[in-house]
Amino acid sequence: MSRSEFLRALESELGLPAQSLKQNQELAAIESWDSMAAVQFIALADEKIGINISGDQIANAKTIDELLSLCGDRLNA
Amino acid sequence: MKAFLTAIRTALPQAILDNNQLAAEYEGWSAEKIYSKTGIRTRHIAAPDECASDLAVRAAQSLMAHVDMDPSNVDYLLYCTQTPDYILPTTACVLQHRLGLPLCCGALDFNLGCSGYVYGLGLAKALIETGQARTLLLITADTYSKLINPADKSVRTLFGDGAAATLIVAAEEESLTGPFVYGTDGAGAKNLIVPSGGMRQAAVPEAQLVPDDSGNARTVNDLYMNGAEVFNFTLRMVPEAVRQLLAKAGIESQAIDLFVFHQANRFMLDHLRRKLQIPADKFVIAMEQVGNTVSSSIPIALQQAQEQGQLKPGALVMLVGFGVGYSWGATLIRWAPTSS
Repeated sequence: MSRSEFLRALESELGLPAQSLKQNQELAAIESWDSMAAVQFIALADEKIGINISGDQIANAKTIDELLSLCGDRLNA
Repeated sequence: MKAFLTAIRTALPQAILDNNQLAAEYEGWSAEKIYSKTGIRTRHIAAPDECASDLAVRAAQSLMAHVDMDPSNVDYLLYCTQTPDYILPTTACVLQHRLGLPLCCGALDFNLGCSGYVYGLGLAKALIETGQARTLLLITADTYSKLINPADKSVRTLFGDGAAATLIVAAEEESLTGPFVYGTDGAGAKNLIVPSGGMRQAAVPEAQLVPDDSGNARTVNDLYMNGAEVFNFTLRMVPEAVRQLLAKAGIESQAIDLFVFHQANRFMLDHLRRKLQIPADKFVIAMEQVGNTVSSSIPIALQQAQEQGQLKPGALVMLVGFGVGYSWGATLIRWAPTSS
């Protein structure tokens, strides 16, 4: 799965318009990025990529790009 | 002798906290949004002077009336709670007196949350099969609402108060077939905790309200839950516990008639159901009206599933409790109540 495919899935999960999430976007600037969104991200990573991401890892991510990097090499550029 | 589950009865406080009230208090959250995120519309909240043990008494009395049994027949009481009346004495001892159980009755509290019902069934099975008890009352009850700060919407939207009483008797026919799978990971203790009020740290008078990054606030005397970490834990451990239980029982998932998981939150349950490829009609969701009732969530779900016809006599049911501790447990029961 590519990074952009994963982003589209994340947008859908969070109820955001398609293409609205940009890789260099700061998480703090995204209105719908709350503790529930973090849980939804964990669920998506589990479902789409089969990896286990912790809340602490997410808490340390500041941008969308850093968030996607948590998925490691399972996500193509 | 074998352990037979005769009946379950539940008790909920009268006062209700619904999504409209929460939406009025929390900016940017509509009642529908709360429902879509949690699967919960109402939670029952204990009155200021109403303890978990009061709910326990109501559930137990309702149960004994339902099966037309005199309290003097009970010879063992297991009480699962994390909101006891006192640090000491044991609340189960107080319950013995309030319920009119005989002096020869054994009684003890055990402190577990979401995994408590499965552990309670395991203890009941052991006590009955070893001849230590013949007529056992397993009661789960909690008032988590009293531990939650009103400024913490993350947990306030999720937890509800409630109690359930289960009668388990020695019989020829077996309900608690087992097997049982248990698990514990204390590394997760800090992720669902009331930091003060125990021996480790005394409750702090006029404790400071500390906001977090999500706009919630609590003091050190209040319940804290790291939702993301707890969710991460359930994704790792619940499928593994289910797999271990099926392997131990020597059966496939298709052989199970009904799955009743601890009703933590709707999003998590839906995700687990899909991940485990369980058909929707075999998976119980029973939290809309009561929220997360901790150790009572599984018996409340069983009772609701039976009332709605999803749980039928003879059904092979998988119960999986998981959460605070971290602690988890899974077991199989054969549902065959004497009367519905």
